Amino acid sequence: MLEAHALTKRYNGVTALNALTLTVAPGDVFCLLGANGAGKTTTINLFLNFIAPTSGTALVNGVDVTKEPLETKRHLAYIPETVMLYKNLTGLENLEYFAALAGKPDLTREQLVGYFREVGLAVEAADRRVGTYSKGMRQKVGIAIALAKGAKALLLDEPTSGLDPKASNEFSDLLRRLSGSGVAVLMATHDLFRAKESGTRVGIMKHGTLVAQHTTDEFGHADLERIYLEHMRD
Amino acid sequence: MILRIARKELLDLSRDGRFRVLSALVLVVSVVSLAAGWKTYTDLAAQHRTAQQATRDQWLNQPKKNPHSAAHYGVYAFKPASQMAMVDTGIDPYVGVAVWLEAHKQNEMKYRPAQDRTAVQRFGSMNGAEVLQVLVPLFIVLMAFSAFAGEREQGTLRQLLSVGARPRDLALGKALGIAGGLGLILLPATVLCVVALALSTGEGLLADDPWRVVALGAVYLVYFALVTALALWVSAWASSSRLALVVLLTFWFANSVVASRVVSDLAAWLHPTPSAVEFQKALEADLNNEQEMEERLERKREALLKQYNVASVDALPIAFSGVSLQEGEEHGNEVFDKHFGALFDQYDRQNRVFQWSAIAAPMLATRGLSMGLSGTDFGQHRHFITAAESYRRDIQRTLNGDIAKNQKAGQVYMAGRELWDQVPPFTYEPPPAGWVLRQYSLALLVLGAWLVGAVALMMRAATTALVD
Repeated sequence: MLEAHALTKRYNGVTALNALTLTVAPGDVFCLLGANGAGKTTTINLFLNFIAPTSGTALVNGVDVTKEPLETKRHLAYIPETVMLYKNLTGLENLEYFAALAGKPDLTREQLVGYFREVGLAVEAADRRVGTYSKGMRQKVGIAIALAKGAKALLLDEPTSGLDPKASNEFSDLLRRLSGSGVAVLMATHDLFRAKESGTRVGIMKHGTLVAQHTTDEFGHADLERIYLEHMRD
Repeated sequence: MILRIARKELLDLSRDGRFRVLSALVLVVSVVSLAAGWKTYTDLAAQHRTAQQATRDQWLNQPKKNPHSAAHYGVYAFKPASQMAMVDTGIDPYVGVAVWLEAHKQNEMKYRPAQDRTAVQRFGSMNGAEVLQVLVPLFIVLMAFSAFAGEREQGTLRQLLSVGARPRDLALGKALGIAGGLGLILLPATVLCVVALALSTGEGLLADDPWRVVALGAVYLVYFALVTALALWVSAWASSSRLALVVLLTFWFANSVVASRVVSDLAAWLHPTPSAVEFQKALEADLNNEQEMEERLERKREALLKQYNVASVDALPIAFSGVSLQEGEEHGNEVFDKHFGALFDQYDRQNRVFQWSAIAAPMLATRGLSMGLSGTDFGQHRHFITAAESYRRDIQRTLNGDIAKNQKAGQVYMAGRELWDQVPPFTYEPPPAGWVLRQYSLALLVLGAWLVGAVALMMRAATTALVD
């Protein structure tokens, strides 16, 4: 579903991402680990076509994102560290607006409320302005947008950082359900525990290069941390 | 998609307290300026009707007298108040509304409302055109500056583009949203304006040339559209909403406030006009050119003697005193045509400078077209002066012709009501909308080019806008 082939991004001679090659199949949850500046966010921005690659290609559903940026975005949903919404609009109005722009303009109120319920948001919150929402609620609205859109691939950029453990746990549950229904997930994260919990595979990035890939059932939490720290040693 | 975006923008705006306060303010100012315009118009129209009737009655009811005395007695010609002057008073307050038509002289217009104003009023009066040309663009800037830049800062632009929203649709949707916000204010004001027009004349809706109303509306729509597109372009291009606001306010100030003052100096420098004293001196020098008068009269005398085949003017079947008076008029007319013509041509050239300058400041094109279509620009002032002057010359020709025909040697000739009746009342038909638009073809072209350019820039900036 998500493919990168020798994907490279350089800014004024500094390599932010170096020949990344990876594949995320439907049902996979691929966690990108690495220090700040390792190239995780760059990878996600390249898949979203927010920046242009220096060389290499990023494919969504087999289509080059630089050639058909609107077509490839139809399959994608993006959840950043904090999902940004219009604070003067209610949660439901936000959901309706983003869903409409994503190509689902005819959803009924029942359907929209259904998505709200599905991601574990209280129905009473639907008609409250987003300005009053907590961060965990915003992240859930982000997932609701992905559901409403029928996204086949999810791009997550540290979606659980700053969430309390309970909210973080709920979020992981949602991810598991999505991947169980065949969505491909690419998640950049610092949270080794979450990566082991909800990821099917992990990749460790360092200075723009993917230095290791493992499936998460190969080892336990302690092993993952040990491997990660070994790679981080210069 | 575009409509969906527009609807959201409008919803978002309408929940913004700042927008509500601002739009209430704009609405109040619009209505107040409109009411002031309506009052001015109805007062002027009423005065016009009474004064027109009074001058006609005075003319018809003057006692028996020599026609040349009647010529000196004279009549007034009043410029009819244009309904659209309610929206744009143009130069009307400064050029006067009436002209005295008498023998030997092309007078300047009198009764300038600006003369009656106090210094404070000069700054305090806000007419509809100023609201439309200065306040509304400011309102657009305040609505639009953060359209892209603000969303970029808040991160919603990322979210929007990630779901696959088409940047072109976003730009158009936002433009339409702003138009909607503007419509909420201008629509009620326009309806009020049309109703006020209808009430003030009692002649139904749009009693004046309706094409003028349509064209004026179109000009302002184009102007607002181009300001909106420019504002969205800057918002998409600027790295922060603060920068966008500074750039746009600078443009607004230069375009709406500074440009007309600078260009008015530029036009006066390029095409200078004489001071009133200089003009009067030069005019009188030519008028009092005795030698040319003598020669002219001599030529006429020769021609008449030849025509009637007589030896002296006393033997002519017509009174030479009437002919002589008319020759004096003809001489004066040539001098007036030369001097006023040159002066007015110079004003017309200054007007062209304004139209060309619209390349740098589109407001100048809008300003010219607005005055033109409202019938309050210099072009139509000149059109009226020409009509009134031509009426004056007809009066003189009629009166002098009557003297030539009826004056008998050695007696004092007195004419009466029959002669006064031969002078028709003064009627004035303002030029049609097409005539005005031809005068401002350059401004129309420049305005159109601004719109096309601004929309192209907006579209390009929206598609290349960075998400961070």
